[in-house]
Amino acid sequence: MTTRDFVISRRGALKLGLGATAAVALTATGCGSGGGAGGAKNADGKVELRLTWWGNDTRNANTAKLVEAYQKANPNVVIKPESGEWASYWDKLATQVAANDAPDIIQMDEKYIREYGGRGALLDLAKNGLDTSKFAPGTVKPGESKDGLMGINAGVNAPVILANPKVFKAAGVDLPDDKTWTWDDFKRIAVEITRKSPKGTYGSTSPMANDATLSGFLRQRGKALFTEDSLGFEAADAQAFYDWIMELQKAKAIPSPDEVAEDDGKSLDQSSFAIGKAGFGWVWSNQLNAYDAASGEDIKILRYPSQTGKAADAKLWYKASMFWSASSRTKNAEEVVKFINWLSNSVDAGAIQTTERGVPPNLDVREKIADKLTKSDKKTIAFIEAIEPELGDTPLPPPVGAGNFPDIQKRYGQDVIFGRSSSADAAKKLIDEVKGNISSAS
Amino acid sequence: MSVVGELNSLRRPKGAKKGEKEESPDNKAGYLFLAPWLIGLFLITIGPMLASLYLSFTDYNLIQPPEWIGLDNFHRMLGDSRLLNSLKVTFTYVFVSVPLQLALALLIALVLDRGMRGLAFYRSVFYLPSLLGSSVAIAILWRQIFGTSGLVNQVLGHLGVQSPPGWISNPDTALSTIILLHVWTFGSPMIIFLAGLRQIPRMYYEAAEVDGAGTLTRFSKITLPLLSPIIFFNLVLQIIGAFQSFTQAFIVSGGSGGPSDSTMFYTLYLYQKGFGQFDMGYASALAWLLLVIIAAFTVINFIAAKYWVFYDD
Repeated sequence: MTTRDFVISRRGALKLGLGATAAVALTATGCGSGGGAGGAKNADGKVELRLTWWGNDTRNANTAKLVEAYQKANPNVVIKPESGEWASYWDKLATQVAANDAPDIIQMDEKYIREYGGRGALLDLAKNGLDTSKFAPGTVKPGESKDGLMGINAGVNAPVILANPKVFKAAGVDLPDDKTWTWDDFKRIAVEITRKSPKGTYGSTSPMANDATLSGFLRQRGKALFTEDSLGFEAADAQAFYDWIMELQKAKAIPSPDEVAEDDGKSLDQSSFAIGKAGFGWVWSNQLNAYDAASGEDIKILRYPSQTGKAADAKLWYKASMFWSASSRTKNAEEVVKFINWLSNSVDAGAIQTTERGVPPNLDVREKIADKLTKSDKKTIAFIEAIEPELGDTPLPPPVGAGNFPDIQKRYGQDVIFGRSSSADAAKKLIDEVKGNISSAS
Repeated sequence: MSVVGELNSLRRPKGAKKGEKEESPDNKAGYLFLAPWLIGLFLITIGPMLASLYLSFTDYNLIQPPEWIGLDNFHRMLGDSRLLNSLKVTFTYVFVSVPLQLALALLIALVLDRGMRGLAFYRSVFYLPSLLGSSVAIAILWRQIFGTSGLVNQVLGHLGVQSPPGWISNPDTALSTIILLHVWTFGSPMIIFLAGLRQIPRMYYEAAEVDGAGTLTRFSKITLPLLSPIIFFNLVLQIIGAFQSFTQAFIVSGGSGGPSDSTMFYTLYLYQKGFGQFDMGYASALAWLLLVIIAAFTVINFIAAKYWVFYDD
């Protein structure tokens, strides 16, 4: 062999450079096909509806049962399920809607309901005859906007603090009375638990771990996350929030920034609260079942503290754990709404769902399925009902362009806790970025 | 092994004369055999590329039809501080990980080239990470190894290091762990180096030895110049590939590019804009900027190559 055999020629090298350069990420952004909308009727003359949701094995099994029960009662309808995982669900839905191939019935989240609804992708359920007469007060509003009822509450949720009695007992600290406790109490107790617990166990998870906390903080200051079309708070409010987090961190009421950031990426059953490494956990009420199961403890469910020590000043609220929405381009609006009506109002559907998608907002259904509930379900329902007289105003969902607010808030929060930015700077940038996103989306 | 295949196709067969093509009597059959690839090229590559070019001049939220806004997307980039940050992260990644990876690949190739028993085995072992490195499973494993209570910190703990950082969850170290992951996948350039080394005629070394040249001199006067086209080949491909890295950052940071945007690669930012924020027009414009950046670096590479790559033709 001579050297000629292996040397790349000048021209060959040039071809290589050109070819490899062109194969960049361009193709990723330009995809999307023109597939038609799902067929209205299938070969047997049955109405075919496509149903999509995100979830886990439990919910998939549960939803399969719902579909089966509905098809049995309505032999003229065939429902084609399309399940997914939260993370990829939204990418898929966005591309489907872009390709004019949206499923007829869509499980929707508060984060995105306006992104889709405000752009005309969702059906006005009220106008198409959805019955909400039996719904608990305040449970329909989260799905409403100026475009109509864009989604119906599939389950009632509330922001809560959970307490792990095992951690309290090991540290020799008493559980607080959540009807009278204040923010100072919260901090004092959390600090005490950290001090009296083994290394690596803390009084509380970071309040930033849950997207409801900033909202709760603002509400107690007389502000709100969002108005109809913008932000409902100032940089000073966000700064105060970040300062409070830093205060908890310095007092070691919550874990170090590294640990907080890492906990963030873990699945629920491996998170520090679930494995008994934190006394308090900031979560949504419908997660109680999962934490009970993961920790094997009888987890306590607590109201947010208040400034005054009066539960009504905690300004708690109901959130829709998720919504049932329909595509505005569906060819069978009538059948779609009929199905959503059944999901929302029939005892049959309620008995299958129990509290898997949150506490049923329909009071009638809630009452009639009482004997089907587990211990965790009952704890959750009792809590949801107990706070009803104390609720503040129903907060508005994020306006178009602000759907990813929780991510942005978290990112600037990390800038602060890692000492990369002052709380004042981070707060100002947070406001600027979100307002910029809202204005460029409208 | 496609890279090696490509390399083979670039070689000029010994004795082939320039400009002498063998004319096929039946081009149709040729095109027929090419058809699957051609259809793929037009439908999956060129079509989306043109669509993306059009979208880059529009405001497109995936739901409503795109609206022509001219160069607005490109103007927006000028004031986008997160874009600037993602460029910084990506450039750091490219300029640290590529040289490190190539140096390691060359070093291991030189060791293996000395000829040892079980060469095939070692070659496979070192190549293995290349196959695994960009996989989701390894990225998840990486999270575990470099976590606050992961393998690395357990070892450090036994060595007496007090409270080591959470490598992946700390913005000061998160990018380094992804760079390390990339360097670890040195196998594919190593195989190419090895192929190149094997074909440097022994007689050069023998002659140099007779003249009294030491190991270092032989390396710098014979190996490096004769290997330079291969180094160049690896450099071009690795730089282009590194600019487009996505999977590792996406999985290691859980899709967020965090903590605190420290692993916000360019492609990840593009993805978040397009699919997370319904800003597909802007995302398309970002994709074209990336093409321009990569093209620019490739051109620079080719110009610089004139001064250091030795072609024997």
